[in-house]
Amino acid sequence: MVGIRDTVGKNRSRLPHVSRRQMLVGATAAGGLAIAWNLWPRDYQPNVTAAPDEHVFNAFLKIGDDGHISAIVPQCEMGQGVTTLLPQIMADELGADWRTIAVETAPISPLYTNTLLIDENSAVFMPRAGVPDFVSDVRSWARREWAVRHAVMLTANSSSVRMFEGPCRAAAAQARALLMMAAAARWDADWEDCDTQDGFVILGKKKLRFGEVAAAAALLEPPADPVYRASSGDPLFGKELTRLDLPAKIDGSANYAGDIRLPDMVFAAIRQGPLGATRLKSIDRKAGMATPGLLHVVTHERWVATVARNWWAANRALDRFAPVFESTGTQISTERIDAALKQALKDGGYRISHKGDVAEAMTGRTRIAVEYAVAPALHAPIETRSATAAPDGGRLRVWVATQAPAQCRDAIAQATGLAASDVILFPMMAGGSFDACLDHSAAVQAAIIALQIKRPIQLAWSRAEEIMRLPPRPPARARLSATLNVAGGIDALVTRIAVPPTSHEVRARLFDNTPADVAQRDAAGSADAAAVEGAASSYTIPHHAVDHCPADIGLPTGRWRGNADSYTAFFTECFVDEMAARAGTDGLSYRIAMLGDAPLLARCLLTATSLGGWEGGLSGAAQGLACHSMRGSHIALMATARQSDKGLQVEQLVAVVDAGRLVNPGVARQQIEGGLIFGLAAAVGATTDYEGGVATARKLGQLGLPRLSQTPQILVEFVDSDREPGGLGEIAVPVVAPAIANAMFAATGRRIRRLPLSAQPL
Amino acid sequence: MTRFSVNDRPVEYRMEPETPLLWALRDASNLTGTKYGCGTGECGACTVDIDGESIRSCMVTIAECEGRFVTTIEGLSRDRSHPVQQAWVAEQVPQCGFCQSGMIMAAAALLRANSNPSDAEIDAAITNICRCGTYPRIRTAIRRAGRVLRGEERIAAAPPPGIRPEDAARAVPALRLPPGT
Repeated sequence: MVGIRDTVGKNRSRLPHVSRRQMLVGATAAGGLAIAWNLWPRDYQPNVTAAPDEHVFNAFLKIGDDGHISAIVPQCEMGQGVTTLLPQIMADELGADWRTIAVETAPISPLYTNTLLIDENSAVFMPRAGVPDFVSDVRSWARREWAVRHAVMLTANSSSVRMFEGPCRAAAAQARALLMMAAAARWDADWEDCDTQDGFVILGKKKLRFGEVAAAAALLEPPADPVYRASSGDPLFGKELTRLDLPAKIDGSANYAGDIRLPDMVFAAIRQGPLGATRLKSIDRKAGMATPGLLHVVTHERWVATVARNWWAANRALDRFAPVFESTGTQISTERIDAALKQALKDGGYRISHKGDVAEAMTGRTRIAVEYAVAPALHAPIETRSATAAPDGGRLRVWVATQAPAQCRDAIAQATGLAASDVILFPMMAGGSFDACLDHSAAVQAAIIALQIKRPIQLAWSRAEEIMRLPPRPPARARLSATLNVAGGIDALVTRIAVPPTSHEVRARLFDNTPADVAQRDAAGSADAAAVEGAASSYTIPHHAVDHCPADIGLPTGRWRGNADSYTAFFTECFVDEMAARAGTDGLSYRIAMLGDAPLLARCLLTATSLGGWEGGLSGAAQGLACHSMRGSHIALMATARQSDKGLQVEQLVAVVDAGRLVNPGVARQQIEGGLIFGLAAAVGATTDYEGGVATARKLGQLGLPRLSQTPQILVEFVDSDREPGGLGEIAVPVVAPAIANAMFAATGRRIRRLPLSAQPL
Repeated sequence: MTRFSVNDRPVEYRMEPETPLLWALRDASNLTGTKYGCGTGECGACTVDIDGESIRSCMVTIAECEGRFVTTIEGLSRDRSHPVQQAWVAEQVPQCGFCQSGMIMAAAALLRANSNPSDAEIDAAITNICRCGTYPRIRTAIRRAGRVLRGEERIAAAPPPGIRPEDAARAVPALRLPPGT
C-alpha cells in the first residue's frame, strides 16, 4: 500500500522558504512549542479501511476487484453536493466509468486538512496563541502545520472544491499511474504509453479493467509527482451528472444522525437553559419520574435530558420535570442588543482596511451619512441538532453530522474524559446545516447521556431548542458616510460596522470547547476582520476605510451561510443605490462607472440586466440591482419586487454568476437557486426577537420562512470561464436582500434600511 | 386502540394512544424516511399519506389512525418507480434531502387527486418548508410527474435499489463479477 504523503493537499509553490534560523526563532517565541515542533510527524499514511476485495491506493481512492471505485470524501455533505463533486473530479482524472463510482466519508486524518481555509481565514479557524505571531515569515507556514497536526478538516466558506480539486486530482492521477504500471507489466510495455478510459487501462487494442489490475497496482510505488491525464475528448469534469446521493434521497433511505437504529437503543430529549451564564437550578423529580414511559433522567450543570422508548415520550417528560434554570448577568433582549450596537457604532472601533486617505479627502466636504441595521439570522435547518451515541466497551461510538469532525471528537473526549482515540466518530450527512453543524453540543450531550445510562441513545433537539440554543449569525448595525465628487460619484467612504467579534467566539467554542456565554464575554471588545468581510467592495472608490466596532450584545453568535458578506453587501449595495438615486443616475450605470477594476463583476451585472430587461431604474419599475464578489466568485442580481395588499411580493430574481470552471453545472445551479432562496428568507424573516435571555420564537412558523407560494421566478446564468473554480455555496445569499430593498425603493419611493425588510423602519 | 395498516401491513402499536403517528413510525417501526422537523405541523417533513390524503404525521395520534391506511415514503413504491420519485431525480430536486420525503408524499397525494394541477393548486398543496431552496425545481418536477401520470411522458432517471452485481456487470463494461463469486 502506498500513501499519499504530505505532498498531497499542499501546494509546494505556496510554501514560504523557512530557514533553520527562522524556524528556531519561531519555535522559541512560542515557548513550549520548541520541543513539540521537532516531534511533529512529517508523513501521514492513509487510515481508510478496506474490504478484503478492495485495494487502497491512497487517502482518496480505493478500487475493488470487481471494478468499483470508492471515492473518499473528506467534507460534510449538507446538500451542497460535495459527495458528487469531488468523486466527479477523481473519476475524470482516473478515466473511470461514472457508473462504477461509490462514495465513502473520510476518517479523521491530517491528510484531509482544509489548509485553504486556514490560509484564507486563519483569524477564524485557529487560535492565535498557537503560533509565534510576530515572526511573520513563519506564520502562514506554522498555521498550516498547526491545522494539519490538528486534522482541521473543516467544511466551511464555500471551500470544498477550491480546496480539494487539487488533492483529488493528484490522488486520481497517482492511482491512474499505478493502474497503468500494473497493466504495462502484464503486457511487457512501457506504462507511459498506456492510457485510461471508461474504467479500462488501454494500450492500442489491448484493454484491461481497473478491477483486473487493482490488486497488483496498489502494491507498486507511484511516480514521485503526479502524472496527469491528457485532456479527454469526453471529460466527466463539467458534465451535468446526476448527483450520487439522489436515489437515497427520494425513497427515505438516506440516513441522517437521527435515523441510526441500534439494538437496545433508546431516545433522549433535552432542555437547556436561557442563553448566557446559566445553570440548572432544580427539577420536579417526583412529577417527572411519574411520567409514563420514562426510563431515565440525566441532569447536567447546564441541561436536563430525559430518556424513553420513543422521542415524543422523552420530550413530554421534560415538561413534567419543569426544569428551572438560573442565569447571572444582564439578560439578553432585543432592546439591549440594539442599544449595544448603537453604542459600539459611536465608540472608537478598529480600522480593518483602508485605501487612500479618507480623513484628508473628507475634510471640508459635505458628508452624507446613512445607517442600516440587520437582525440576527437563524440557521433553521429542517433537521434539528441530532446525535446517536453508543458505549462500546471502554470506547464510545458517535454518529453525527459535523463540519469539523476532529474537533467534534475532541470535544466529546474532553467532556467525557475518554481518550480521543477511544471516541469513534461516524460522520453523517447533514439535514441542511448552513453552518449549524459547526456546533457540537448535541454530540457532546449524547455522549454524556449514553455513558451515564450505559446504553445506546439517540438525542434530538426539539425545534424550540434549535431556535433558542443555536448561536445565530450576529445582528449588525452600520453607518456609511461618504463625500461625493462633482459627478455625484463616491469619492470617499467610511464604512463603520457594529457587530460582535464572532470569529473569536466561534474559535473558542470550536477548538477550546469554551461555553458559548464565556466565549462571548472573552471575545467582547476585540477586533475581528472577518466580521466586516466583504465591506471593502469591488468598487473603485479612491478613499475607502472599513471599521469594525466590536459590540458586546450579550448574545452568543456563530457562522452562517454567507457570513459577514450577508450584511456587508446589504449595507454597500443599498448605499450605492441611494447615492445613484441622489445623483439622478440609473443604478446600473452608476455601478458600472465604479467597476473599472472589477471587469468580471461588471460583466455579470451587464448580463443580468440585459437578461432581466432592466428598464433603467425608472421609478415604478420595481426593479432593483445588487452585485457582490466573495470566495473567488462574482454575482449580479436583478430583483423585481413590489408591495401588495399581501405584503412584499418578490416576483423575479435574475442572477448571473461567474464562478470559474464548473465541476458540475447542474449542482452549481442548485447552489445558486438555493442561495437565492436562503437570501430571500433572510430578507423577509429567519430571525427572532430576544426577551429575558431567550428567543421569543419557539416554532418554525414564527420565523417567516418562504414557502413554495412565495418563491419568485428564478433565472440563473453562468458566465463561461476557465478560471479556477470559485465558491458556490454562499455567493448567492448576500445580494438578495439589497436587490429587493432597491427594487422596493424603485417601486414605492420608500427606502428600507433594515433587515428583515418587513420590520419597522430605522 | 392503535391498530391500522402501515405500507399495506397490519400493525398494532403498543404505545400510548396519544403518541403522534410520526414517532410510532420512526421509533417503533424504524420507518425513518419520515422526518421530524418541528412537531407543530409547520414544516411538513413528516408528511405521510393517510387514506389518500397528505397528512402531517406529527399532528395525528396513533389512536386517530385506527383502522386507516398509512403510506410512508418507504411504501410509496418498492423500487423508486413512482412518477414523482422519477421526476424528482430527472429534475435533480433534492439538496440536503431532509425535507424531501415529506415533499414527495405531498406531491404524490396532490397528483393522485389531480394529475394536471395549476400553479395555484401546486402552491396551495405544497406548504412544506425547504431551507435548501429546492422550490423552483419542485414546481417543475410536479408538472413533469403529472405528464408521466397522464401517459404523455416516460422517465427512467432513478435506478431501483438492490441491483445485483451480475446485472451491474452485464450493463457496465468496466465492472466484472468479483473473482470467486
